[in-house]
Amino acid sequence: MSRLIDKKLSRRRFIGTSTCALAGVGLASQGRVLRALATSEEPLSGKLGDNRDVFTACGMCVNKCGVIARVRDGRIYKLDPNPEYLKSRGMLCARGNAGLNQVYDPDRLKYPLIRVGERGEGKWRRASWEEALDLVAKKMNEIAEKHTRAGVMFASTEGTFQEHFFLQMAECFGSPNTVRHPTLCLSSNIQGFSATFGTYPSADILNSDYIIMAGANRSEALLTPDSIDQLKGDGGRRKLVYLDPRFTKTAAKADEWYPIKPGTDMAFVLAMIHVIIGEGLYAKDFVATTTVGFDELAAHVQQYSPEWAEQHCQIAAADIRRVAREFAKAAPKALFYPGRRSSFADDDVQLRRAMAIVNAIVGSWDTEGGLVPNSVIPLSKHDYLAPWYDDVPERIDKDSAVFLSEKDGSWTAMRDRILAADPYAIKGMMVYKQNLVMSVPNRAKTLKMMKQMDFICTIDICMSDTAWLSDVVLPEATYLERQDPLESLSGVVPVVAFRQPCVEAMFESKPCLWIMQNLAKRLGSEIAETFDFTMDEHIHHQVSKNPQILKDLKKKGVYYLKVEPSYGLTQGKRLKTKSGKIELYSENYASKGLDPMPVFRPHAEVPPGKFRLLVGRNAYFTHGTTANNAFLHELMPENSLWLNPQAAQKLGLRNGQPVKVKSAVGEGVLRLEVTDKIRPDCVYMAHGFGVLSKGQSLIYGRGACDAALIEDALEPISGNVAMHQTFVDVSPA
Amino acid sequence: MKTKRYAIVLDTRRCIDCKACTVACKAENDVPLGEDKHRNWVTQEPLRGTFPNLGQSFSPSQCNQCANPPCNSVCPTSATGITPEGIVTVNADKCIGCKYCMLACPYDARYYNEETGVIDKCTFCIQRVAVGRIPACVETCPTKVRVFGDLNDPESEVSLLLAKHRYTVLKPELGTKPFLYYLI
Repeated sequence: MSRLIDKKLSRRRFIGTSTCALAGVGLASQGRVLRALATSEEPLSGKLGDNRDVFTACGMCVNKCGVIARVRDGRIYKLDPNPEYLKSRGMLCARGNAGLNQVYDPDRLKYPLIRVGERGEGKWRRASWEEALDLVAKKMNEIAEKHTRAGVMFASTEGTFQEHFFLQMAECFGSPNTVRHPTLCLSSNIQGFSATFGTYPSADILNSDYIIMAGANRSEALLTPDSIDQLKGDGGRRKLVYLDPRFTKTAAKADEWYPIKPGTDMAFVLAMIHVIIGEGLYAKDFVATTTVGFDELAAHVQQYSPEWAEQHCQIAAADIRRVAREFAKAAPKALFYPGRRSSFADDDVQLRRAMAIVNAIVGSWDTEGGLVPNSVIPLSKHDYLAPWYDDVPERIDKDSAVFLSEKDGSWTAMRDRILAADPYAIKGMMVYKQNLVMSVPNRAKTLKMMKQMDFICTIDICMSDTAWLSDVVLPEATYLERQDPLESLSGVVPVVAFRQPCVEAMFESKPCLWIMQNLAKRLGSEIAETFDFTMDEHIHHQVSKNPQILKDLKKKGVYYLKVEPSYGLTQGKRLKTKSGKIELYSENYASKGLDPMPVFRPHAEVPPGKFRLLVGRNAYFTHGTTANNAFLHELMPENSLWLNPQAAQKLGLRNGQPVKVKSAVGEGVLRLEVTDKIRPDCVYMAHGFGVLSKGQSLIYGRGACDAALIEDALEPISGNVAMHQTFVDVSPA
Repeated sequence: MKTKRYAIVLDTRRCIDCKACTVACKAENDVPLGEDKHRNWVTQEPLRGTFPNLGQSFSPSQCNQCANPPCNSVCPTSATGITPEGIVTVNADKCIGCKYCMLACPYDARYYNEETGVIDKCTFCIQRVAVGRIPACVETCPTKVRVFGDLNDPESEVSLLLAKHRYTVLKPELGTKPFLYYLI
């Protein structure tokens, strides 16, 4: 529910009202916030005359775009895009611009806090770093003593560039139980494409003439450079075909939009393959030299005609046939976009396989305008010798998925095992900036799991829901206050990024490395030794083989080797698949009892009277982390429930009225937004609202939390969660 | 040297309504928080058609920097002025916050800033332009909807765009002579 729509009217209305009423809105300008912060307990670190332009990398989402921080009188007054930074194409989005409010946010964490009331009651006392870290070390050791070191789990964010130190702590402390976000995001995608190509490629959107996007809302779920290239490369020759049950802003920009029935994308793709092979439109030489299993595939897809697909995905057979022909004709400058977040249905790996295969058979591989394997600029790794512990068992979620990532785990499978203490107990949680209460589906289970913990410590910059339910909360310095290690960002054109402090860290906030080093000291010399380095030493070691990287970063905020993509680097070389070729048929999958080629099996239908709950991004928020940012908050102060007018009429519901949404695992109340922008059998709400934490003062009490409603179905090959398999009731609140 | 005449040319077909321009402007110009406080904005035009045949456009806008600005003629204290380069400005020392200009502006481009007691509006980021930089909304835009430049320079990108493409201005019938050009 974007609120800037009505602003013209509202301004005119406001003219008639008194100034007092206006002032009563109660939102302070940044100037006022700064003054308030400056007159609170501690002064701002800034000095008059401290004017600098500082190169750094954005930390508001996963993209790490190039930023120039304009520091005036010791304060960051503006974040500007770095025009040299290739990956972000010299732009900065709303979130990137709003980043300065992370630093000057009155809600930010200022000091270490120790819980004094019940968990979630919000009663804290300020503690010194010494006391807080002493307590964390004591609790970690106590739990390790009682339950082995695997009894402490480590949940980590990524993209801060300092998560490596947190994961190093997990390894050196001796717990195998690390968990990160991929199984809430793209693990099925990586698995499906890697099983086919041996790697997860990028899409050369800028140079592509024909793009099909399914389940990737690139005009709102911004990904650099893809989101930008999607419009930039268009000179009237580009065609964008977009499949989504919602009319998103990508749909508004697409040449064709099809409100596909959720969970049936695979039927669409298989029918495309059927047409392309059946009509002989595939890249015959490419298929013969570069792929394996074409004959099996050709036989397999005979059953999947467009007429068959129409019955499932509700897109006309004639359209499927035409799109398939146009796609093959535009190839190899055509791509079926891989997308990123792929946590939709429990057969998602096979859907991604199908998407990879349709690209492969038209030769959209390692070529201009097609899929391109990523390149990466090497940096020297920080080596350390992790202490060895004899009695530590394997990961608690071992074997919960066919291809489980050793470092990332499977979030929901892991949570189930923890709840059942199967095969052992986990009683301690260390959390680094991951807001798991908000991001892992079925919040009730997450809360139950946390209740089971003897100790929870969260490092964050704000009082997230996860921090709110912790025992110790440690304030991290924001990305604009930290020196971070260099990070090599892979892509069609890879770059190296870094962050340098634009201003001194405010209050008592500290970077993750400092926190880990000082925690390590308390956990014993063996662990402390692995952290015996400074950030400066670490960075110089990273560039020891190529010092030019650091020089360029200091001079222009980014390092790159080339500005144009290179194509065909894998030509004639072995791919990282079992056969060394593109696997249309996967022997590896067959040997594990999985379908060697994607087989469509219909999903459960929406029960009468219910709706399928959809999730999806907007360009204003990064998951559950930025809705409380004052700049972004006013773009979307709360979420709403999208419902098609037909369905609303049937239920007798009016636009704007509060409604109760109820699933098998939870419920929530939010305002109804009656809109044609969604299929009549689905509802949608934005992520990031319905928070539990009163430490998020702008959004507390506003909207509903999707994680409370979504059930936790599992994709068994990758361990990814399936977020589009929840049915809900909608009724007046 | 000929005086510059600044203008912005917009290609709204590129706009994805990401609001980067709005937030960038707020930060750059210290615009107070609040939904009705803004120097620029993106309007979501009404949805066209009915499900499943839909279309929608997004319309970014700001002060039109009119050559004949109605806000100027109604100002009782001469707080509103026009620079030689055509930027319409508000002199904070002279403005008494009477809001006549807000009512006069046909584009609703002005708002009342309670913090300063002054009416505020887009100035093409005059503080940036003065040092050779481009307005914040132009620079930050992911899809480069806006192009800023000097119309008195026939080789400038804005001049080339207006030469090559058809365009329109907002409410031309009012005779305000806007310098915000929309490509069509």
